[in-house]
Amino acid sequence: MTSGPRRPARYRAGRTGLGWIAGFTLPALLLYSLLIVVPLVTAFYYGFFHWEGTQRAGFAGLGNYQEVLTRYPLGDEIPVALWHNVLFFVGTMAIQNTVGLGLAVLLYRNPRCKRFFQTVFSLPYLISPLIVGYLWSLLLSPSFGPVNYVLQSVGLDSWARPWLGDPDTALPVLILVNAWQWIGGPMLIFLAALGGIPRELEEAAALDGASSARAFWSVRFPLLMPAVGVITVLTFIGCFNIFDLVYALGGSDGGPGGAMDVLGLLYYRTAFEGGTNAIGESSALAMMIFVLIFGVAIVLERLLRRREVAS
Amino acid sequence: MIGRRSGVLALLGTLTLGLVACSPSASEGDSGTSGDGDEVTLEVWGWRQEDVAAYEKIFQLYEDANPGVTVEYVPYKADEYDTILRTGLGDASGPDVAQLRSYGLLQPLVASESLVPLDDEVEALADFPDELMDGARGVADGQLYGVPFALQTLHVIYNKALFDEHGLTPPQTWDDMIAAFTALKTAGVTPLAATVADTWMLPIQHEIFGASTYGGYDYLDQLLAGTADFTGQPWVDSMTAWQGTSEFWAPQFQGVTYADAQALFTSGQAAMFPGGIWELAVFAQANPDLELGIFNVPPPPGAAVQETLVPGYVDGSFGVSAASPDQEAALDLVRWMASEEFGQAFTDELRQISAVPGVEPADELLAQALEAHLANPSPYVTYAYFSSDQPTAWDLASESLSDFVLGGATAEEAAGHIQQGVSQWFEPQS
Repeated sequence: MTSGPRRPARYRAGRTGLGWIAGFTLPALLLYSLLIVVPLVTAFYYGFFHWEGTQRAGFAGLGNYQEVLTRYPLGDEIPVALWHNVLFFVGTMAIQNTVGLGLAVLLYRNPRCKRFFQTVFSLPYLISPLIVGYLWSLLLSPSFGPVNYVLQSVGLDSWARPWLGDPDTALPVLILVNAWQWIGGPMLIFLAALGGIPRELEEAAALDGASSARAFWSVRFPLLMPAVGVITVLTFIGCFNIFDLVYALGGSDGGPGGAMDVLGLLYYRTAFEGGTNAIGESSALAMMIFVLIFGVAIVLERLLRRREVAS
Repeated sequence: MIGRRSGVLALLGTLTLGLVACSPSASEGDSGTSGDGDEVTLEVWGWRQEDVAAYEKIFQLYEDANPGVTVEYVPYKADEYDTILRTGLGDASGPDVAQLRSYGLLQPLVASESLVPLDDEVEALADFPDELMDGARGVADGQLYGVPFALQTLHVIYNKALFDEHGLTPPQTWDDMIAAFTALKTAGVTPLAATVADTWMLPIQHEIFGASTYGGYDYLDQLLAGTADFTGQPWVDSMTAWQGTSEFWAPQFQGVTYADAQALFTSGQAAMFPGGIWELAVFAQANPDLELGIFNVPPPPGAAVQETLVPGYVDGSFGVSAASPDQEAALDLVRWMASEEFGQAFTDELRQISAVPGVEPADELLAQALEAHLANPSPYVTYAYFSSDQPTAWDLASESLSDFVLGGATAEEAAGHIQQGVSQWFEPQS
């Protein structure tokens, strides 16, 4: 960290005043505390009390946690919703991120119209997930939607189905619509990472007679691991926090037979469609979800960091 | 030196910004009182943004009769209203009078002591039927917290032109009804625009098609007394009766949303829409040329009662905030809301059935709905009577009816789901 004698030091840690550091970090810290830390601590605190509407009643200890985990059908819905989040994460990793990588490689190899396609694939990014959800629910509507209409008019009647009303197709549709919206994200990150790989390495691989597939898997992909790590963690957090898109596609009940029910919806129902003690129970549920996502995200990050170092 | 001084300045600037951001704003909005003399402004909060103009007209009557009082209707988005109201009621700058949800959804406000009990304050409430007042009653203390404003009734709404075209009339028997459904289906018209994907509509449709099968108020009394439960044969049969009509729903009904069903009906692709009387105004707006009629479902063979039952429930009530600085004036206003003058203005302006006894709607269909309901009333069981604690029978019924109709559960399993959930908190009345 010390500057060598021949390199003029631009920044010297010791000379930057504490006031400066504070001046620049405090606004962010203040906002962060106000908007993130305070609600988090509040939820943690609220979760230990019984509530009568908006009035705090007696200390409940772990009563709310127990209630949330044991009450029928809420207690049974938590593992189901969690499982849906896991499937959603796995599906998104498998579809959104692999296709994103594929598109990035294609654009990297064929730079013609790269800008255009980059923009096209990233456009859905700009639309709110709620709007995306409503648009797709209109497109997939069995009564008026063009998707089934097209299928029927080309003779594929048996393919036409109530996409969002069938418990078997609802979750896959959710994964696809979500991927449709966010595919530009991993694509841009992979594209930037690909651009950062020195040409010499690829040329060396080509000189050694490696096929392009071999060169990709042995040379490029290992060097993309940092990007894979970042995308995995971001996808994990996104998939476990998902609410808006599922809400727009399937309502607060999580679609047909709860086939799209996820933790975010479960929290919404407990907090905003709950009873007298909604604040206590939803705070307890929120804390459990937070601990889960935070914990897994840290473990995931560590694991991926270790792989990066190893590769 | 310069660096340090600038740093300190930056720090101070940040702190000032932070303090400004945290300090309460100087003008806290209209607290409801103007403070001088007899001038009073009452804020009435509600969830009906589409009704602002009508309420202005209605409250004008009150303002004319009570000089010095100004009544303002302040609407919020319907799906955010409950949260906003819970917070607003705890504060003097909140509403003076508020539209309250009924039955179970009212209970959190009763528990937080945010409302003024009206038993001794509004004498006219004694004339309201007991079933109506159940919608505004605190379950824990039995006290009344609101003046009910609207009665909602549930029917099959039909397209008169389509009925005429196919030579159909409102059915008098269950078999007539099935024959009419079949005739329409054969002619390529979807008989019933049933909502499936938005599960909150399912208990409504179940009441419309199943009420006479389980027996309406008679069975409710047994449920409340604990001598019957949701797994009882009448209730299970009523679910089957409703689900049996699914062969007359739109193709791929599993994905039909509430909006889809409304569009199917208003566009003339479907001949009937099972739903609440509030749809009349919605349909008239979507397609003013649509000629509408209503009927109720005649009892199927083996039904518990032989009358054609007409389900109905209280949609909401007006209550007084315990934190209102103008409580007396607010109480005067809700007293007026229990009067025929208010009821008549309400039904005339909003095209809804007023909950005030004796008020007759000018609208023909509303009058028909009210008359039919008063003659053979039936409750909205899961919403009205088993929703005061968690999980509510209404949520459980929405889930289980959805599972049942999608093939994920049998009628017995679906009924068992409701019972298992409710039995965790429900105590039979002795």
